[in-house]
Amino acid sequence: MIGIPYTVERRPDTGVNNVKLGVWLFLASEVMLFGGLFSAYFMLRAGALDRWRPLTSHATTAVLNTVLLLGGSAALSIAVRMARARRIAAYRGWMAAATVLPLLFLPVKALEYADLARLHVYPSSGTQWATYYLLTGVHALHVLAGVIVSAALLATSGATWMGDAPRAINRVEAAALYWYFVDVIWLLLFVLLYVS
Amino acid sequence: MRRWFSLDHKIIGLQYAVTSMVFLLVGFSLMMLLRWQLAYPKQPIPLIGALLGSRNVTNGIMLPEFYNQLGAMHGTIMIFLGVVPLSVGGFGNYLVPLQVGAADMAFPRLNMLSYWIYLAGGVVMLASFFVPGGAPNSGWTSYPPLADIATAGQTFWLIGMVFLITSSLLGSINIIVTILQLRAPGMTFMRLPFLVWAQLVTAFLLLLAFPPLESAALMQLMDRLAGTSFFLPSGLVVGQKAAAAAGGGNPLLWQHLFWFLAHPEVYVLILPAMGIVAEVIANNIRKPLWGYRLMVWSAMFLGFMSMLVWAHHMFLTGMGTTMSAFFQTTTMIISIPSVIILTSLLMSLWGGSIRFTTPMLFALAFLPMFGLGGLTGLPLGLAASDIHLHDTYYVVGHFHYIVAPGTIFALFAGVYYWFPKVTGRMMDDRLGRLHFIGSFICMNAVFMPMFIQGLAGLNRRLYDGGITYAHAHGLQKWNVMQGWAAWTLGLVQILFIVNVVVSVRRGAPASDNPWDATTLDWATATPPPHGNFAALPTVYRGAYEYSVPGSARDFMPQHEA
Repeated sequence: MIGIPYTVERRPDTGVNNVKLGVWLFLASEVMLFGGLFSAYFMLRAGALDRWRPLTSHATTAVLNTVLLLGGSAALSIAVRMARARRIAAYRGWMAAATVLPLLFLPVKALEYADLARLHVYPSSGTQWATYYLLTGVHALHVLAGVIVSAALLATSGATWMGDAPRAINRVEAAALYWYFVDVIWLLLFVLLYVS
Repeated sequence: MRRWFSLDHKIIGLQYAVTSMVFLLVGFSLMMLLRWQLAYPKQPIPLIGALLGSRNVTNGIMLPEFYNQLGAMHGTIMIFLGVVPLSVGGFGNYLVPLQVGAADMAFPRLNMLSYWIYLAGGVVMLASFFVPGGAPNSGWTSYPPLADIATAGQTFWLIGMVFLITSSLLGSINIIVTILQLRAPGMTFMRLPFLVWAQLVTAFLLLLAFPPLESAALMQLMDRLAGTSFFLPSGLVVGQKAAAAAGGGNPLLWQHLFWFLAHPEVYVLILPAMGIVAEVIANNIRKPLWGYRLMVWSAMFLGFMSMLVWAHHMFLTGMGTTMSAFFQTTTMIISIPSVIILTSLLMSLWGGSIRFTTPMLFALAFLPMFGLGGLTGLPLGLAASDIHLHDTYYVVGHFHYIVAPGTIFALFAGVYYWFPKVTGRMMDDRLGRLHFIGSFICMNAVFMPMFIQGLAGLNRRLYDGGITYAHAHGLQKWNVMQGWAAWTLGLVQILFIVNVVVSVRRGAPASDNPWDATTLDWATATPPPHGNFAALPTVYRGAYEYSVPGSARDFMPQHEA
């Protein structure tokens, strides 16, 4: 394996390292993915004959999920600080919280789906429900992917931390960028689907 | 195992190149079949007619369903599995790290993953031929409601597209990060070869324009599998029965999301080709490119503008004159940077001592061929004339001039030009020239009559080539000629295949820099080792310092002080 420069250290003239730049570019493409989904939402809602009503009946699960996601990201931002300070035990504790809280988001979401199914509300029930299931479903997949990444980072062995701490810190920071993006998408969904 | 799952960008580039060239051949073969039906409607296909299966042919005569599959899959395979993977996955992967002076791509594992996901997408696409109802048959654009209610092959198309979009996402991130981060010392942005610039802009287009199609593909998948109505309007009647869906959807939503990808996609097809042509021309005129900086800025402007023209494919959807005016204007504006790049390449020829090598012949032919394709696009970009020409063979002729004798000629130029670097052996020049002349004549014989057919009002996608329509009766002779030209074109490509296969083993050995070129890809051993350079090169000059006054040789390599 050949050493690729600037994986962890910044390149002076661009001011970023490869991993961060890669994650930023990935997020740019994610913006376009959700941009496509959101524009579908607005186009269909604007053209709908019936009025789309917010899902106030499920505000409780939505608020709970907001707390779980934002709580997870708060824990993650502390975990990033602990990692930078190389306080590995504290990092592990906060990272565990940052993994478990968003993980709990998924069963709560599943409960919401189950409840809607009980009311015979399916994706095929109308374009409002189709967009609801699509937007929340794609977002939930992003949460799942993030949980897997966080779990992998949690499993980073002590040997790696001792051997190549900057590399490990860089990974945690990159994962945090992704998680904050997932949060922002959720906040937009929260406003569109449950409030307005 | 390690050979197949190599992390070396050159091996991955070759995997991409070989796979995509096979797909190009497959896509072209579908078209050769289809051309029989157009030239001799309802006559049995000779020789292979019986082999195509009773589902596709009856007594050797092609069925309309099969004709539709061939059309949809020809477009899909040529664009998404052939030209883009060859120009970006193949040439981009192999050349970008070499030309910027890097040891490899920034993320070698993602690079490997990108190839295998691409291959999986290709296999899914080809597998669709064997499902009930056959391959996708709603055109390469997959317009709903038709595509929503089409046979199972369409589901394969959508899943295949999700694979291909994921693959191109990984590839484009890799190319951008490699260019921005891994440039060798001294390799400033304005010293980058134009090919690298073209790949950079292309990668941004792939990164930003593809995801909206992914979202649209997810919606169409849900329409087909979960019973949603994203693209199904209320009151839709199919086969004299009301559709079972809830309705409330909008078929135009697909068109917007699809063309938001598919117009930038045109520039994904053409920019890397321009990059290759620029390299080949600069090397074979033995003087600097005329207007290098102008070309770079034009490429960037082209990339930006390409995101703002998509609805010129939709003038006939009744979107209103205000919208039409906006998209007409942006379309006219985007022709300017293309013309600047083409003109710069043309001006570069002036006063050069031109070497008419095989790659140079293909590169020179690219200029008028792409020019024809581009100029015939202008009437399509104006709503008033597009209303007459929309969905006729004129459109087919227009975009084929851009991608077939345009981009594919550039790709041939690239293969002949970099073959000695990749394999250490030269390709045969005489076979190459025959291949060029044959391809040039046949390509024009296939595509030039399309303008005549289109102006006479012949619609594209007609199963019988139009003979049921009185106004198209006089046009049948062109279909016959195009058929024979297409089959001859197929024969001519055998020269190329033979040339590649024989030259790999028996070609004349090539030195490290057989073309006396200046860029860094020629500053290493032939073929380049894993890691590319024995020592990291330092760059002292621009990319095209040929015939520098006072210099002993007529070229000054970038890495020589």
